Amino acid sequence: MTTVAERQAAPSLSTWERVRGWVTNPWGRPRFLVLVTWGYMIWAIVPVLIAIQFSFNASRSRTTWAGFSTRWYWGDPVDSVWNDPGLRHSLEQSLKLAGADVLIATPIGVLLALGLARWRGRGSRPANFLMLFPLVTPEIVMGVSLLLVFSHVFTFVHTGTLAQILGHVTFSISYVVVIVRGRLFSIGRQYEEAAADLGASPTSALTRVLLPLLAPAIVASAAIVFAISIDDFVISQWLSSGEDTDTVPIQIYSATRGAPLPSTNAIATIMLLVTFVSILLAFLVWRVFTRGERRAAQSTAESMGAFTV
Amino acid sequence: MYRRWLWPGFALPGTLWLILLFLVPFYAVLAVAFGTVDPILQQPVPIWNPLEWNVGWMTETLSRFAPGGTFYGVAIRTIVYVVVSLALCLLIGYPVAYYISRHAGRTKNVLLILLILPFWISYLMRMLAWVNLLAPDGYVNRFLTFTHLLGEPRDWLGGAPSTVILALVYGYIPYLILPLYAALDRIDRSHLEAARDLGASPLRAFLHVTLPLSKAGILGGAVLITLPMFGDYYTPNLVSGAPATSMIGNQIDLYFHGGPQPTIGAAITVLLAAFLTVLMAYYMWTIHRATHEVRDV
Amino acid sequence: MMRHPKERPGRFDRRELLLGAVGAAAGISGGSFLAGCSSSTEPEGSSPTGTTGEALGPGGLPLARPDKRVKLPLWEDPIESGLEPESGGTFTVFNYPYYFYKKLLREFGEKYDVEVRYTAFDNIASGIQRLASGAVEPDVMEMTPDNLDRVVAGKLVKPLNLDYIPNLKKNVWPELVSPFYDVDSHYTVPYTCYATGIGWRSDHVKEDIRGMSQPWDIFWEAQAYKGKTALLSESRETIAMALLRKGITDINTEDPKLIDQAVADLKELYDVCNIKVGDSQFQTLPEGTSWLNQAWSGDPIAAYIYYLPKGTPASVLQYWKAPKGKVPVQNDNFCICSTTKKPVLSHLFLNYMLDNGVAHSNFVDFNGYQPPINEIDPGSLVKKGVVPRHLENAILTNNDFGPDSLQEMTLTSKGDQLWQDGYSDFLAAG
Repeated sequence: MTTVAERQAAPSLSTWERVRGWVTNPWGRPRFLVLVTWGYMIWAIVPVLIAIQFSFNASRSRTTWAGFSTRWYWGDPVDSVWNDPGLRHSLEQSLKLAGADVLIATPIGVLLALGLARWRGRGSRPANFLMLFPLVTPEIVMGVSLLLVFSHVFTFVHTGTLAQILGHVTFSISYVVVIVRGRLFSIGRQYEEAAADLGASPTSALTRVLLPLLAPAIVASAAIVFAISIDDFVISQWLSSGEDTDTVPIQIYSATRGAPLPSTNAIATIMLLVTFVSILLAFLVWRVFTRGERRAAQSTAESMGAFTV
Repeated sequence: MYRRWLWPGFALPGTLWLILLFLVPFYAVLAVAFGTVDPILQQPVPIWNPLEWNVGWMTETLSRFAPGGTFYGVAIRTIVYVVVSLALCLLIGYPVAYYISRHAGRTKNVLLILLILPFWISYLMRMLAWVNLLAPDGYVNRFLTFTHLLGEPRDWLGGAPSTVILALVYGYIPYLILPLYAALDRIDRSHLEAARDLGASPLRAFLHVTLPLSKAGILGGAVLITLPMFGDYYTPNLVSGAPATSMIGNQIDLYFHGGPQPTIGAAITVLLAAFLTVLMAYYMWTIHRATHEVRDV
Repeated sequence: MMRHPKERPGRFDRRELLLGAVGAAAGISGGSFLAGCSSSTEPEGSSPTGTTGEALGPGGLPLARPDKRVKLPLWEDPIESGLEPESGGTFTVFNYPYYFYKKLLREFGEKYDVEVRYTAFDNIASGIQRLASGAVEPDVMEMTPDNLDRVVAGKLVKPLNLDYIPNLKKNVWPELVSPFYDVDSHYTVPYTCYATGIGWRSDHVKEDIRGMSQPWDIFWEAQAYKGKTALLSESRETIAMALLRKGITDINTEDPKLIDQAVADLKELYDVCNIKVGDSQFQTLPEGTSWLNQAWSGDPIAAYIYYLPKGTPASVLQYWKAPKGKVPVQNDNFCICSTTKKPVLSHLFLNYMLDNGVAHSNFVDFNGYQPPINEIDPGSLVKKGVVPRHLENAILTNNDFGPDSLQEMTLTSKGDQLWQDGYSDFLAAG
C-alpha cells in the first residue's frame, strides 16, 4: 500500500501483459468470450460476403478482384445467370419446389401439430415418434429410400419434379410441427375455453380464436420451410431426373467441383436474396400478428429453439 | 369441447404422409438390401417378404466392414472426421452460445440475428465461399503469406483431411450453436446466483452448475449435427476429391451410380442407419421427455 | 462414359436412377428369346448372383470384343423399305446433356415438320433405366457399345433397316460401319469416338511424358504434383490404366488376380501424389487447378475451344495417348428406341446425323467430340484452325479402330462386380 509520500510511478506493462490484462479482466465482461464470439461471427459471415462481392467481379476470377460489374447476373451473353439456360432454369426449379413445398407442407404440418399436441389417445405417441424421425435421419438415407420407393413401390412417380416435391414435403412437415407446437404450448387452452364460455362453437373457437393466435408460428414455419427447401441439396439431387430438374444447389455443387465462374457466386447470391426477402416478409407479418404480445423477444428465441432439446 | 375424433383426424394426413413417404421408403431400402439384382439391366429386385430375404448381399457388405475389409478404413476415417469436427464445433460453439445467452446485454439481439443468419445461407454457398478462399491464389493464402504465418502458399484443396474437417465444422456449427444457445438461455440465473452466494468462484460455478445443466443441450446439439455428418459425401467431394479423404457416404454414392451391385449400396445405407439408430433413439427420447414435461396444453 | 465438354458448368457424379425395371423385368424374363441366363429374381441363398456357365453377357448374348465379332439377333423384323416418313407431332432425342447441337435438331424438325425435343440423361445407365421403366418414351437414343447387349436383350431398341441410312456406308469409317459389337449394324450407327490418355499442363509438369518408355508411370512419379493430379472417376478407366501401365492389354479381363494387383498399384498413388478422382479435367486443366490428369481425347479439344481463360496460352495444354493396341478407344452410338412412334423418321434422323455437313457442324460448332466421318481428319482440322497442331494427336483416325484395338466392352455379371468392387476399394482408401 502506498502512502501519499511514497507514491511512485506505476510500473509500465509490456504489450503482452496489457492485452492479457484486458482479456482476463475479472471486473468487466468476460473479454475472452467476447473475442471468441465476435471472432466466430466474423469467421461465419465474412467468407459469404466475399463470395457475394466476387459475384460482381468484372473478370472471370473468383480470387482476384478486377472491378465491379453485373456481367455475371445479366450482362454476359453466354455465362450470366440470365443468359445461361441451365442456371436460369435451375432458379425456376428451385422456386417451384420451394413454393410447392410451402403450400403443401404447411397445412399438413399445422394440422399434424394440433393433432399431436392435443391427441390423448393410444396412437399419439407412435405418431409423435414418427414425426420426429425425419429430423434426425441423415439426408442420404432419406434420399436413397425415396429413390428406391419411387422406383419400386410408387412407380407412377418417376424421378423428377413431382418426386422432388414429395421428398421436400416429407422432410419439411416435421419442422412445421415443431415450430407450431412450440407456439401452441405458450398459448395454452385458455383462449379457446374462454371463447367456449362466451358461447362460441368448437369450429368458431378453432378458426376465430386459435388459428389467429397460431398465425405467427404458421408464418414462421412457412418461411423456414421455404428456406429449407431452397437450400436443399441431397434430396433434390437424388430425385433429379437430369439437368431439367436441377436446382440451384445442384448447379453450385457441379460448378464448384469443376471450374466455378462468378456466375456461380451470382446465382448463389440471388438465392440468398430470395431467402432473405422471404424471411423478412415472414418476420414483418409475424410482427404484425404479435403486436399485442409483451414478450415478443422471448418467443422469438422460443420458436427458434423450439425444435431442439 | 371438441369432438374426440378431431385431434386424431387432424393428425391423420400428416401421419399418413409420413408413413407412405418415410416408413415405406425405409422398408424399401431394407427390401432392396435383402433382395437380388436383375443381371440384364442391373436393377435391384426388392424382396418384400422378410421370410424370403436374401442375406447374401448383407453378409458380404458386413464382411467388408470388418477389420481388413475394404470399408473398414473408410468407416474409421468417417468416425474420426465426425468426432474431431464435433469436438471443434463444441470448442468454438459453446463459448459463443454461452456468451450470447449469459452476457450479451444490449448486443444480444444483434448477435442472435447474426447467429441465425447462417441458417438462411445455403450450405453449398458457404462451401463455395471457402473453395474460393482456399484457392491457391485465394485470400487465405494471400493473407497467411502476407502476415508471414505461412512461408509459401499452401495447397488447401489438394486432398487434405484438415480442409475436410474445416469444411465440416464450418458447415455444421450453426446447427449446434443455436440449440446450445436455447438450452443455455433456459438455465435459470438464480441457480448461478445461489452458487455464487455459497462462495463458488466463477469457474466453479460454471463447472458445477452451468455445465451440468447444459448437458442436455450439448448432447442434443451434438446428436443433431453428427447424424447428418455421418452421411455426408458432398463436403469431401467439394473441398477435396481425393479417395484418401473419402467418407462412407461416398461409397453409398458409388454403388448407386450404376453397376451390378446397387444392393451393396442399400446394405451400406441400412448399416449406417442402424449404427446411427443408437444416436437417433437417444435424441428422440430426450426430446420426448422434454416435450412431455410441458405436455399439458 | 463421356462427359460433354459443354455441360455447363460440368455435371458429374450425377444421381443414378435405380428404377425398378418392373415392367422391363417382366418383359425380359417372359420374352427373353435368348437361352440360358438364370435371371436372379428368385431369392438367392448365400453368395451374390452371377450368370450361368460360360462367359456370356446380359441376356445370354456372347461378349463382343474387337477380335471377336458378334452379330446380334433380331428380336423383330426391321421396318420395310420405301415408306414415307411420319410427320407432325414431336420427335424426342434422348442423349447426354448438351451433346447435340440444337440448331441442327431444329433444322431437322423444320425439314420433316416435327417438333424435335431433347431429353437428357445424366449417364447412360440412368438413361437405360428411365427408358426401361417407361419414364421416357424417346424416338432415338444415344448408346454405348458396352451397354448394347442390355438394351437388345431387353428389347429396348429396334433393329435398323439400313436402306434408310445410306450415309452409314458412305461417310463413316469402314472400321465402324459393321463394328465388331454389332456386325452388319443391326441396331446402331456410330456417333462420336474418343480415346483415353493423359492430359497435362506443360507449364507446371516439366517431364517429357511422351518420351517416357511407359508414360502412365508419370502418375507414380508425380510427387512434385501432390494434390494436382487426378484420374477419371470411372471404375473401368482407372483399373484399365493400371493394367496397361504394367503391359497388360486385356482391359476386359475378369482375372481377380490382375484386377487386385491393378487396384494395389492404384493405391500407391495416395502416398505418391494424393491422387484425386473426377471427370472435370476439361475444365480444371485449363483453369490450372489440376496439372496432370487421365483424360479423354475430347477433353483437351474442349478445353482449348471453350474453357481456356484469356491469357493462358494454348501451348500449355498437352495430350498423349498410346499407339494403337495400347490405347483404350471407345465410340458412342445412336439407336432407335422401341418406344418410337415414328420409326421411319427415326431412321432418317440417324442418316441426317451422319451427313458430312451435319456431323462436322455438330463437332466443330458445338460438341467438341469428333464423329468417325471420313471427311473429318486431323490434318484438315489443324489447317482450319479448329485444333492447334500440338493437340493433333487428340484426334482419332480410322486406323485407331480395328481387331487389334482395345475397347472397354461388356463383361459378365461376375466381371462387372470384380471391377466395381476393385474401384470401390480404391475409392475407400482403407
